[in-house]
Amino acid sequence: MRSFLACIALFAPAAAMAAPDVTIDSTAFVERTIQDTSGKAKIVLEAPKVVTPGDRVIFVLTYRNGGSQPATGFVINNPLPAAVSYEGSEGAQPIVSVDGGKSWGALAALKIAQPDGSTRPATSADVTHLRWTFAAIAPGQTGKLSFRGVVK
Amino acid sequence: MTSNVRLLASASLLAVAALGANPAFAAGTASGTTITNNVSVAYKVDSIDQTASAASNDFKVDRKIIFTVAEDGSATTAVSPGSTVSVTTFVITNTSNATLDFSLTPSQLGSGSAGAHSNTDGYDVGNLAVYADTNNNNVYDAADTQTFVDALGPDSSVRVFIVGDTALGTANGSVAAVRLAAAAREGANDDLLGAALSQDNGANQEDAVDTVFADAGRDNSENALDDYTVSAASLTVVKTSTVISDPVNSSNYKMIPGAVVEYCITVANASGAATATNISISDAIPGNTTFVGSSVYLDGDASCQNGSNTADAPVAGTLTMPLSDIAGNATLSARFRVTVD
Repeated sequence: MRSFLACIALFAPAAAMAAPDVTIDSTAFVERTIQDTSGKAKIVLEAPKVVTPGDRVIFVLTYRNGGSQPATGFVINNPLPAAVSYEGSEGAQPIVSVDGGKSWGALAALKIAQPDGSTRPATSADVTHLRWTFAAIAPGQTGKLSFRGVVK
Repeated sequence: MTSNVRLLASASLLAVAALGANPAFAAGTASGTTITNNVSVAYKVDSIDQTASAASNDFKVDRKIIFTVAEDGSATTAVSPGSTVSVTTFVITNTSNATLDFSLTPSQLGSGSAGAHSNTDGYDVGNLAVYADTNNNNVYDAADTQTFVDALGPDSSVRVFIVGDTALGTANGSVAAVRLAAAAREGANDDLLGAALSQDNGANQEDAVDTVFADAGRDNSENALDDYTVSAASLTVVKTSTVISDPVNSSNYKMIPGAVVEYCITVANASGAATATNISISDAIPGNTTFVGSSVYLDGDASCQNGSNTADAPVAGTLTMPLSDIAGNATLSARFRVTVD
């Protein structure tokens, strides 16, 4: 696993004076079922060193407002990796897009156009993008978001 | 040479079908693919848009070795005693996320072992050999010369043929059970069998593509059984004679000079036997008799009745009478007449 943080330093002058140091990070884990010493199955999270199709992967997003000002209109966008099929999120539920980020909404409200012109309800496998929106993140506040997928 | 049969189910269709159940992608994402998750955050401070922060992390998809070996079809291969290069067919399906070669190992089961069809092994075939369906036409032919599978792609299958000979005289109903074992090898489209694979069990290097055996038993070894069953024709031939008339009596005809005698040859094929073909009866006209012209009836019934009249005549004293194919548990007859000299 490789994880890196990219904070882009090209701030506009007006923003630069008061720019809070908002950071975000993404890590991934593989969910494995193993047998403990008593023979019971238990689920453990491992670093994604050995990943093959069909494995369940959990992505954890960590954000932090390290600045001194509240950050408002806080929107986290996460396009889904093409080789991962979305399976749901824990905690704060994102709105999703099933059309490459053009339209957004709760999964249950989205439709997929069929070749014959009809539509069908969108399913989690159709999800292409995830978005979490927060009105404001106070200075020093941190949070974690996570979602699960399966390697196609 | 690559020989692929594309499975109809595409990965995307499967993904839809698999909702709510355990994920059931076929071969899935190709080995070595890097999965990168990108996340960005946009926000405002004092109502002023700030430059977004972003992060990503990635990992590589490893090589998952999973494949099956199965008998093609569900019937034994019927063979005749003396038949050579009889074929049993298997299918190897590669659902790994990588292109692989496969080594093929044919073997014969020991006497008494159960074959693929609840039969008991009773003989071994000769000249046992295995070939991949190199030209991908689903039948064994002269073009199929490779004894391994070269470069079978993900979600593809290929037929593999075990061939063998059955000795003359092998009893009807005898079974020769055979097994095809296959193991995945490094795959390259080079008409060569790739190197053996080993599973990476130990610590993994970051960003390396590891090999994971995910086949049944996680041993990179799959096999399937099939069998040959001897299906021989089993013919019984009976010849009878009847005096049809004599020049003196009006009944209870006697075998006196001038009497007409009918010979009937019945050919019966045993129940359960294979259909007998190309049957020809040769009969020397008995001495001191003269063949009656146009008296031959072919393909008559078991009672020496009916059949078709022909103008067949003896050649050098021997009458040759061809019969139609006789299925198991069926009987045909041929008959002709002579006069006593």
